[in-house]
Amino acid sequence: MPFPPAVARAIARTWLDDAELERLSALHFQDAGHGYDAFGMHPDFVAMATVLVKGLYERYFRVISSGHEHIPQHGPGILVANHSGNIPIDGMMMWYDVLTHTSPPRVPRAVADHFVPALPIVGTLFARGGMVGGSRGNARALLESGELLMIFPEGTPAILKPFKDRYKLHPFRQGHAELAIRHRCPVVPCGVVGAEEQLPQLTTSRLLGKPFGVPAVPIPVVPVPLPVRYHLLWGPPIPLHEEHSPEEADDPDIVKAAAARVQQAVHELVQRGLKQRKGIFR
Amino acid sequence: MTRPLNVMVTGADSPVGERLIRDLLDDSRVDRILAVPWRTGDHLPPDDRLTIVPVDLSSSRRVHDLLFGKARDLGIDVVAHTQLHRSAREEGPRIRRYNVDAVRALLTLSERHPTIRRIVLRSDAVVYQLQRDLPVLIGEHHPLNMSGAAPQWVTDRVEADVTACTRMGMTDLEIVVLRTAEILAPGCGSQLYDYLESTVCLRPAGYDPMINVLTILDCSAAMQKAIHHHSQGVFNIPGADTLPLTAAIRKWGRVGIPMIGALLSPAYRLRSLVTGHDFRYGMNRRRFLYSGVLDGTRAREVLGYVPCHPVEWPAG
Repeated sequence: MPFPPAVARAIARTWLDDAELERLSALHFQDAGHGYDAFGMHPDFVAMATVLVKGLYERYFRVISSGHEHIPQHGPGILVANHSGNIPIDGMMMWYDVLTHTSPPRVPRAVADHFVPALPIVGTLFARGGMVGGSRGNARALLESGELLMIFPEGTPAILKPFKDRYKLHPFRQGHAELAIRHRCPVVPCGVVGAEEQLPQLTTSRLLGKPFGVPAVPIPVVPVPLPVRYHLLWGPPIPLHEEHSPEEADDPDIVKAAAARVQQAVHELVQRGLKQRKGIFR
Repeated sequence: MTRPLNVMVTGADSPVGERLIRDLLDDSRVDRILAVPWRTGDHLPPDDRLTIVPVDLSSSRRVHDLLFGKARDLGIDVVAHTQLHRSAREEGPRIRRYNVDAVRALLTLSERHPTIRRIVLRSDAVVYQLQRDLPVLIGEHHPLNMSGAAPQWVTDRVEADVTACTRMGMTDLEIVVLRTAEILAPGCGSQLYDYLESTVCLRPAGYDPMINVLTILDCSAAMQKAIHHHSQGVFNIPGADTLPLTAAIRKWGRVGIPMIGALLSPAYRLRSLVTGHDFRYGMNRRRFLYSGVLDGTRAREVLGYVPCHPVEWPAG
């Protein structure tokens, strides 16, 4: 990072009140020796990111969250949600929601596509806030150490989907289901409503994405995300690990069916959210 | 009660070899030590249990004569091979013989040796591939850097490592390969140490990967544990310090200046030409972009190795 943790700490101390700072000081965190965990997360940068995301969460997107009692307060778990919006604000809102609704606070470790950690500045900044690259090894190591993963099984194609396809889920990849069965942890589905309308796109450009190492760059209709209202609906945990033995994580049919079940749960939460909301901005 | 071991240590004139010999001299489970420096062993402490035989291991004939001469006479049980050429600037067949052929000769000859039953080889974390879609935490099964474009400094280490791995379980000889994290100390061939020698450290703008560094004390401790253990295989040996590159620069009391990646290689080539420094940015480019931290779980669970000697950072 261009600045040391002390600067991040100073920013957090300036903008967060004492109660919030005290809460964050109890952060669930595995220090690898110099205040960072092995993946590069640092509590001071988490606190600084909290300052930045809090304003968006509370004032700009005015997030309404329900069912957060389903988020595991301890031990490994996999949070699975739909993905959209051209830029990953949905992940940031979920990140803050989990951080504020767990005690002691837990940082959900967002599992990003391979290109994200390789992005200059963004990759480092996200890593300091807990993001990891989407490799099996990273996921395994985090689950084994009792962390909470945040996975968007639709992947990058979903975040770049055109406005006309909003709230149509892309087929889920199956890694999350396999991980849950193999590493004995629950899957908590989450339906995200609002993100689909935040930044309608005209088109996407693969050409513009090439220099940045990203699959494509969205060209939005508006220059900044619209102040849509976000709804986060957490569903009850899906106990795949209780229904299947670890050996069944190698059975393609079981894993496929498990992933489909998770997709159905997320779909139902999204539909419920769409029915409940009174409008895009309300 | 088990019989004390007789141990042969190669690379006895390197800081790691010297430290290991000193630690073995303090180890009551070790009887005789055969120190094999490249040129001279004058720096080693005088001790009745220590025999010093300078040998150029790049000659297989000399390796043969050493193993079936002095090593057999002393009844050597375990060979600890710490020898690795330290300069990244020197390349060619002579260096390859030193890095790779010496390992091959040691393995081949030890397999039919009357007293040697175990060989512990020090490999290097540089054998692992680093790329954006691979895990940050590097386990022993992590892909190796088999790129044909890699410099000899890397390919030699990969070849020596793989040569040892392919012979595991083929004979009764127990083979242990320790893939050590980079030793941040002078005289150990550390690219990072050489990089941090400059007051100003240039780094790629926008990147701050996690690195892990080892101390000579921990490296020696890991080798000592491997010498006494009975299991074989590959073990990652991480150090006690895991931190981002910028934090390492700061803790070393240096100034880190971000720069466009494309300019770093020529800048460090120029530095090397002018000052004779060893650091090659091209060789370390991926390390300066992508995080890579050795996972020492296997070494902890099997060998009982836990890093406990952190680097003494000059700037605290």
